[in-house]
Amino acid sequence: MSEASMIGLLSATVSFGALLYLAALGELISEKAGILNLGVEGMMAIGAVTGFMVALETENPWLALIVAMIVGALFALIHGLFTVVLGAEQVVSGLSLTILGLGLSAFIGKNAVGRPPGAVLAPVDWGPLSDIPWVGPILLSQSPLIYFAILAGIGTSFFLSRTSFGLALRGAGESASTVDTAGHSVLRLRLGAVAAGGALAGASGAYLTLSLTPQWTEGVTAGRGWIAVALVIFGAWRPGRAAIGALLFGGLLALKTRLQTFGVDISPILLSMIPYLLTIGVLIAISIRARHQPSAAPAALGQAYRREER
Amino acid sequence: MGRLILVRREKILRGGQPLAFLIGLTIAMTIGILLLVISGHDPFAVYERMVEASVGSPKAWSITLNRAVPLGLAGLAVAVAGSMGLWNIGAEGQILAGAIMAAWVARVGEGWPSPILITVMLLAAVAGGALLGLGPAVARAQIGVNEIITTLMLNEVALRLLQWLIHGPWKDPESRGFPLAPILPEEARLPGLFQRAHWGAVIALLVIALFGLVASKTAWGYELRVAGSSGATALYAGISLKKKILTVLVLSGGIAGLAGGIELSGNSDRIVEGISAGYGFAGIIVAALALLRPSGVAAVALLFGAVQVGGLSIQTMGVSSSVSTILQALILFGAIGAGVFSRYSIKRVSKEKMDVK
Repeated sequence: MSEASMIGLLSATVSFGALLYLAALGELISEKAGILNLGVEGMMAIGAVTGFMVALETENPWLALIVAMIVGALFALIHGLFTVVLGAEQVVSGLSLTILGLGLSAFIGKNAVGRPPGAVLAPVDWGPLSDIPWVGPILLSQSPLIYFAILAGIGTSFFLSRTSFGLALRGAGESASTVDTAGHSVLRLRLGAVAAGGALAGASGAYLTLSLTPQWTEGVTAGRGWIAVALVIFGAWRPGRAAIGALLFGGLLALKTRLQTFGVDISPILLSMIPYLLTIGVLIAISIRARHQPSAAPAALGQAYRREER
Repeated sequence: MGRLILVRREKILRGGQPLAFLIGLTIAMTIGILLLVISGHDPFAVYERMVEASVGSPKAWSITLNRAVPLGLAGLAVAVAGSMGLWNIGAEGQILAGAIMAAWVARVGEGWPSPILITVMLLAAVAGGALLGLGPAVARAQIGVNEIITTLMLNEVALRLLQWLIHGPWKDPESRGFPLAPILPEEARLPGLFQRAHWGAVIALLVIALFGLVASKTAWGYELRVAGSSGATALYAGISLKKKILTVLVLSGGIAGLAGGIELSGNSDRIVEGISAGYGFAGIIVAALALLRPSGVAAVALLFGAVQVGGLSIQTMGVSSSVSTILQALILFGAIGAGVFSRYSIKRVSKEKMDVK
């Protein structure tokens, strides 16, 4: 195993990790407010196609990213309308959102398939710092979205645990009626969380088509939205632990195409089962622990809140 | 100044669900017209083609029927779990597991007489789906692990297993490098019914009817409904929740597995990656639209089958197949919304009244 290939693996681990982390953070915020959104895969696809199309038109990658996040948020609000406002079943609405997102993105991006990107988010130039051995190529020659993901993680963690608004948001996912009694609008908190989730999923999708791939093809998200859903559970609904999980799962994605380089004789397909199996393992562990202490999962996750039925 | 709120109706609107479906369909078709115009097609010509291809002739009906089989079984699988308030999101993976097991039997049972081979294949498919449902079932019954996530994760695991098989051990040496399993022998194929339709439709209808009968006429079915509506009542009545959860989730997996077996034996000539065209996820939609009722499942599956077949047919007109995907999602959203309004009505509440409350 050469140093270069090791560096390549670690660098790709960080790239894939950030991709998964952005989407997972969004889902985490949404779930913390009590809304399970299984539409991540669809929201990512919408973000991916929006980012790519805007970049094609304007050649401005930053504008493309921002538009992808806004459109991601608006798209997520469809789920918000049905589950938060109308109180419909979250599982059904979320899955429908995935189906709608995959279909709509394929429709919108039909003529963009195979086209070269209009603009890409080029790696940040850290000057001489990028030449530091190991650290330079792994952390300091990356797309700006890596740093965005790190900041988003720290910001989310701070917001959820240190601000009163974050406390209210978590409250909406634990006991909505209590938060309501305290004078907060559960409706607004939950809608805000769903929209934030959509924006981050949109950013994750745009990261694919503006940086990582960077191209648009139907199904470019390739099931990574489901890994993001898994990551929230793997991280026990904590941004910090989810970051560790993102690096682990990102590492597995990075390793998949490099197994032969490292002379390991395992099928890459079998390797890609690991994140899902690990998540099931973690979920079982959480459930066993929940017998003795409060569960890590938000107590009101998946439950509609109807004020008048309080 | 007032505020709009949703108030639960004292009685669910009669015929609310079929109406909800119709409203969903109307909304979807309207937005569909918009999409088609944007992409430069004549929407009415496209819709005419969709209807023609899905229900316009006996042959069209036979294709729609074939499509409705996995949709109906997957829908039933979800509905079975749903009757106890459980979500089986894993039908997609269970369908794959069923297809894998059936294909394995077809490999082992070369030379067996056709009726025996097919029967064993379908039983193996049931076992495969049930096996994939067993893990989440035990985890849920014994330690209360959320079955939504475990079944969802196992979808991806089953898909990887299938990919691994067709890229590796089961790869057809004559496939020129393509990841394809060998073509099934003729004895392993379900016999035809009429035109393109195969016997899968009959099997599916029997299974759906059987469950409908068991659920509505037997003590077991009654216990199931009690357990589904209130865990506490069930415990009081001496119904073992653990056993019920276990049975229901395994049964649900088995039914989805059967769909995979039928799809392999009846519709596909070999195991391919896309052997389930999202039937497991569509099954959730079917079950939700049917309000988890077996009779509704059959009807909705037929309608959805028609939409899917119609959607596939318009690709020859240069319309992206994504239009049909979008239509299906829109039908669902429209129906979810209309479904909510069949149970709730909108009331305007005045500010003062709210304060009193």
